[in-house]
Amino acid sequence: MSDKNKLMRMIHAYDFTILELGLFLDTHADDARALKSRQQAQLKRAELVREYEEKYGPYILTSDDVMGDRWSWIDNPWPWDYRRED
Amino acid sequence: MWQYQKKLQFPVNIKNPDPKAAKIIITQYGGPDGEMSASIRYLSQRYSMPYSDLKGLLTDIGTEELAHFEMIAAMVHQLTRNLTEEEIKRSGFDTYFVDHTAGVYPIAASGAPWSANYIQSKGDLIADMHEDMGAEQKARATYDNLLRLIDDPDIREPLKFLRAREIVHYQRFGEGLRLATDRLNSKNFYACNPSFDTPCGKGTSCPS
Repeated sequence: MSDKNKLMRMIHAYDFTILELGLFLDTHADDARALKSRQQAQLKRAELVREYEEKYGPYILTSDDVMGDRWSWIDNPWPWDYRRED
Repeated sequence: MWQYQKKLQFPVNIKNPDPKAAKIIITQYGGPDGEMSASIRYLSQRYSMPYSDLKGLLTDIGTEELAHFEMIAAMVHQLTRNLTEEEIKRSGFDTYFVDHTAGVYPIAASGAPWSANYIQSKGDLIADMHEDMGAEQKARATYDNLLRLIDDPDIREPLKFLRAREIVHYQRFGEGLRLATDRLNSKNFYACNPSFDTPCGKGTSCPS
């Protein structure tokens, strides 16, 4: 796996951690440990996204991003496309 | 509102197409205990939830189910790419192919199209939360059955991830139901509809 994809996978892992802690907090809204873990995961994720974007450009292209002279939101790959190299 | 993120929740990258596997996996797209049923069920039920934490829980789990719906579609799509006519006939995919070619359409493994009959939005917290816990277990059992029939690790890994999510959601719904009953009169848990009857809380008697 390329360094780019490794970094992407790490960010995805933090995305998942943040979502999972969010579900936990829905039923444990005052849990100090979970709140702290979620804050830490968000900080770590932001750090990794910064690193990714400095090296490779936007981590996730949103439909709000307009970069360069082309509307790259529509470019392949879309998430359901098979990618030979992953 | 929702905003699309151009990624899957868990990677789906299947090297070898397998239309036979696609034909059974599609049941988690449009089958009775599939991800579409789950998402529409939870996102519809949340409007009659009287408690803010349950509104949040149904919103968040219903949203995650949309991401699972997309993962299943990605699997079906990749499993049915580049098929030859011979593979279509041999795999038994022909019965799907004749109506949908390699398009992704919400049906059960048996071929029945998705139906709102699979779900309920009862407008009753106790009834809805119990349905949701049952739904998570039924979806988990479906993933178990798929994993019994499929060997390819490229297909198994995302299925295992989705199976694990059903268990977590069951746990969260169980906690949600407990948070709700903690606010109710223990003599009336199952005799009162806290989404409609007021008052229905601790220290009150059932309106009917």
